[in-house]
Amino acid sequence: MALPLPPGLTPPEVAFLCEMELVTVIPRQRLEGLALLGGPIAALNPPHRTSLPLWLALLLKRQRRANILPPPWLSPHSLTAILDHETENEEGFSPPPRLPPQPSNNTLPISPPFLPSSTAEAAPDALPYHWLELGEMLLGAASDDFEDPDNVRKLLRGLREVRMAKLRKGVDVLDAGGGVQMNGVGGMEVSEGRAFIGGVVDGLRKIAASREQQRRDKEREERENGYPGTGDYEDDEMDMQ
Amino acid sequence: MAPQPRIRGRQAHTPGSTYLAYTPNGKKLITVGVDNFCRIFSTGSDDEPVTVDDCQENNTAIASTNGFFVAGSEDGTVSQYSLENNKLEKILVRTSLPVRDVALSPDGNWVAVASDELVVKVVNTEDMTQVQYLRDQNRGVKHVSFDKTGSHLAVSCTDGNIYMYSLSSEDPNMIRKVEGMIMSIDSDAEATSKVLWHPDGRAFATPTVSRDVQVMSFSDWERQKAFRTDHSADITAAAWSPNGAILATTSSDLNLYLWDTKSQKLLTKFDDMKATVLAMAWHPTENILSYTNNDGELFIHSDIVPSEHASLLSQAVQPAPFFHDPSEGRSGNATKPLTNGTKQTLPERRARRDGTPDSLDDILGPDAISDDEMDDFVEDDDGAGYAPAVNSHGKRTNGHLGALHSPSSKRRVHGSSSFAPEIHEAFQPGSTPWRGNRRYLCLNLVGFVWTVSQEQSHHTVTVEFYDREFHRDFHFTDPWLYDKACLNENGTLFSSQPKGDTPAIVYYRPHETWTTRTDWRTELPKGESVTAIALSESYIVVTTSANYVRIYTLFGLPFRIYRQKSSPAVTCAAWRDYVLTVGNGPVGGDGMCQLQYTIENVKRDEVYQSEDTVALTPKSTLSSVFFSDDGDPYIYDSTGVLLTLLHWRTSAQARWVPMLDTTLLSRLSTGQKQETYWPVAVANRKFHCIILKGQDKHPYFPRPILSEFDFQLPLSGPKPPAKDPDAMHEDEDEAQDPQTDQLRLEHTLLLSSTLHTQLSSTLSSTRPSSAQRLALQQFDSAVDKTLLQLIAAECLAGEDRGMKALEMAGLLHDSDGMMLERAGKIAQRYGRDLLRDKIGELAERRLAEREEEEE
Repeated sequence: MALPLPPGLTPPEVAFLCEMELVTVIPRQRLEGLALLGGPIAALNPPHRTSLPLWLALLLKRQRRANILPPPWLSPHSLTAILDHETENEEGFSPPPRLPPQPSNNTLPISPPFLPSSTAEAAPDALPYHWLELGEMLLGAASDDFEDPDNVRKLLRGLREVRMAKLRKGVDVLDAGGGVQMNGVGGMEVSEGRAFIGGVVDGLRKIAASREQQRRDKEREERENGYPGTGDYEDDEMDMQ
Repeated sequence: MAPQPRIRGRQAHTPGSTYLAYTPNGKKLITVGVDNFCRIFSTGSDDEPVTVDDCQENNTAIASTNGFFVAGSEDGTVSQYSLENNKLEKILVRTSLPVRDVALSPDGNWVAVASDELVVKVVNTEDMTQVQYLRDQNRGVKHVSFDKTGSHLAVSCTDGNIYMYSLSSEDPNMIRKVEGMIMSIDSDAEATSKVLWHPDGRAFATPTVSRDVQVMSFSDWERQKAFRTDHSADITAAAWSPNGAILATTSSDLNLYLWDTKSQKLLTKFDDMKATVLAMAWHPTENILSYTNNDGELFIHSDIVPSEHASLLSQAVQPAPFFHDPSEGRSGNATKPLTNGTKQTLPERRARRDGTPDSLDDILGPDAISDDEMDDFVEDDDGAGYAPAVNSHGKRTNGHLGALHSPSSKRRVHGSSSFAPEIHEAFQPGSTPWRGNRRYLCLNLVGFVWTVSQEQSHHTVTVEFYDREFHRDFHFTDPWLYDKACLNENGTLFSSQPKGDTPAIVYYRPHETWTTRTDWRTELPKGESVTAIALSESYIVVTTSANYVRIYTLFGLPFRIYRQKSSPAVTCAAWRDYVLTVGNGPVGGDGMCQLQYTIENVKRDEVYQSEDTVALTPKSTLSSVFFSDDGDPYIYDSTGVLLTLLHWRTSAQARWVPMLDTTLLSRLSTGQKQETYWPVAVANRKFHCIILKGQDKHPYFPRPILSEFDFQLPLSGPKPPAKDPDAMHEDEDEAQDPQTDQLRLEHTLLLSSTLHTQLSSTLSSTRPSSAQRLALQQFDSAVDKTLLQLIAAECLAGEDRGMKALEMAGLLHDSDGMMLERAGKIAQRYGRDLLRDKIGELAERRLAEREEEEE
């Protein structure tokens, strides 16, 4: 293959997608509104809060032209609650944020990068799709805007580990026809788990395929021989179960 | 120097650490030491002391009430002894490790025991099975100390922190961990880290590492003034005099100092201690300081305060040494005694001074009912004159009651013979009172101005902007002691109060100039002080204590002056040419003056609203007054409601409309949060405020971030709590409860029609910008759109709701004539043909009316 990359998105690509998420900033200087291809950006007027795409917010933050308000679910209190929920419930992940009420019928439904899931008004009790990468990026670039960055970092780490453990455990049941419910799993987690889970599923498929092959061979043999060996057949069925 | 004071040294115990305590009535003095007896001395008698046997050995602490005393010993027992028969009554509590300190609550019901154990026990002296455990500290405890109400306990831990507990509830809880005040010392060290509550109850003091005695205010935990002692060794004992006017300190350098609380200056010094003094106690009423040393000796030092300072002891309870006394009132108007200070105490003080010598109030005054506060109860049993001065009527003066008894004195407001209405005190919008040595003079959306007092002689003022590129922050040294400021995009306005011969000063400093210096300063006539100032884009408004409203242009030209009709002035605000002044009007039903406001256009010299009422609920006060960025007046009151004035440009049409009730915010609906909102501004139709947690009343440093809330008219209570955040519901995909949907639409309808009214009245008198015109159109269509949604909901609900739907159709603004048609279509879609026909009739009638008008 020409492209050496594994299938799916690499972590930098997921992080790049995450940069379209809207976050709330408190600007520290004026900026005219910008008409960009990706959508218009409201004028900045300190100290009024404004929602900006993450990439612009990070840029302004690095230039010390703005402060980023971390979304409410990144507060230690909310993260602790979510982490508790994750550790108590062995099955399943904490649910994703609720969708806002559908706008009237004639407009298009809106989807993640345009949902305010990471602004200051976001729900405090649910992790959005890009929770891991957004949290990491905000902690990296704007840790001084957090009340308790070390604690948040610790909790994020804890959450990541609990959820990855669940993902890995799900592999146990991954056989033909098996499935894991992945509601609420974040983008980075999918990309992280893809290699491992994909590998496992692939491996299982290969094993199953060789067995299938064996069975077919046997069947053909039996057909050719003319009399079906019922006992063997049943055994095979048992195996398949 | 006074004649050599009488010192009676007595060998009370065998050499070793010795401690003492006075009974609150001052009649007895009890000492404990290393040997197994206690001694009880009677004040004023040289007789041999009474000895109480069957004590433990190596006693380390003692505390006493009038009827009994408790002593703690190194073997871990705390025993209670009766003073009536001088016998051991019972052993209150045992600890596994040596007891280090005991303290009795002022009512004598509880004894707090500090020991080398991690837990402080608070034991009921009547029923020793009732024990409260204070467990937050993680090292042994050296001292415990009750405040004068007995509801708070300060625990000095050996880890160098003070743990402040509230004991008023069933379960004691730690309210504050004070770090960095006391040193971390061993529990058996001679040095002390005891918390000394000042008798006025608002502050406490502790010895510090640097051998100073630092005062800290209780409620806001700010460091106040400090006594800079020059002890060459750690302080081993310190004590406030019973009225708090003198502080005595001693240390292992064998000096004993007396300090004046007010000036923190040394009063007198004794350098003839024979051994390190370990405990000191003032006689509750007389000029006696007794102390015990580590050599078993007791000294009863009569006349310790030299005669030239002895008057200090006979004064009333002195205030603790604050940088800025919180009771000075939030604006600190020196010249307005009527509106100054806490409201409840004012009429009482005046009534007392007027002298109603035989009124029931004097007999049943707070001093008679508050038996538990024995600190104040001065028994002048020997007539030595140490008790507070007696007035000509033979009653004690009220001075010793101070301003601290406001709760019990509130009753007197009605009982006093002269009725004095409560006046709303003046305030400057956007400013905070002193806390520690700093305060905000002005906090708004442009930036903030704050000041720090430096050694009383001058302040340092700092002006900071949110938009740091637009303006540069600056700060300057301020010898005039500015106490009010206004800030906007163009400049900063300051004003100071008159002081001595210096008149009040108004100072304006523009941010940007093209000449070298355009800031100016103007003086008010002598004796006239500033009550509030306001700065707009074109004028400066100053209201003064002489009830004048003075208006200047931005370059200092006096433009107008007139006397305010309602007085005393409360506050003012300005926006472009509009000036809003608020003053106290006639007395309302609740005994408080009703506030009245006046709005005028200064440029056109036109009064829009004259002496109209500021609509407040009874007993609530005004917290802030400001103009929004669109130029509409807003007020925020003490009940947490934001109101705006509609139709204020038409005389007698103005009315107050609540735009947001912060008590109904959904974030408070869980009941877990306790927070209040400190108003900053209204901009972009949002309420900008600072969220204050807990009991805070004003923002403090570091500057908290601003929060913003959308308007929410108080139509219904907060939505039912969204369960608790921990319990996450998986599949409750909110099937859009039709009732909440209805409520939401109704709210949107009222809000947009209110905003539409507000904006259209603004536009009728100003030249509208295109953005404003667009906004007006949007509100217009928002009203119609919401109505259509409501009609749709009614149609969906059933045929029998058609009447209501028709009523809504009648409310449609229908500026373009299309809306009624759409309403008809909606009715058709839901198959409500009757309704559709009626709407059709309505549309025809409307059309006909419109044609008539055109003709």
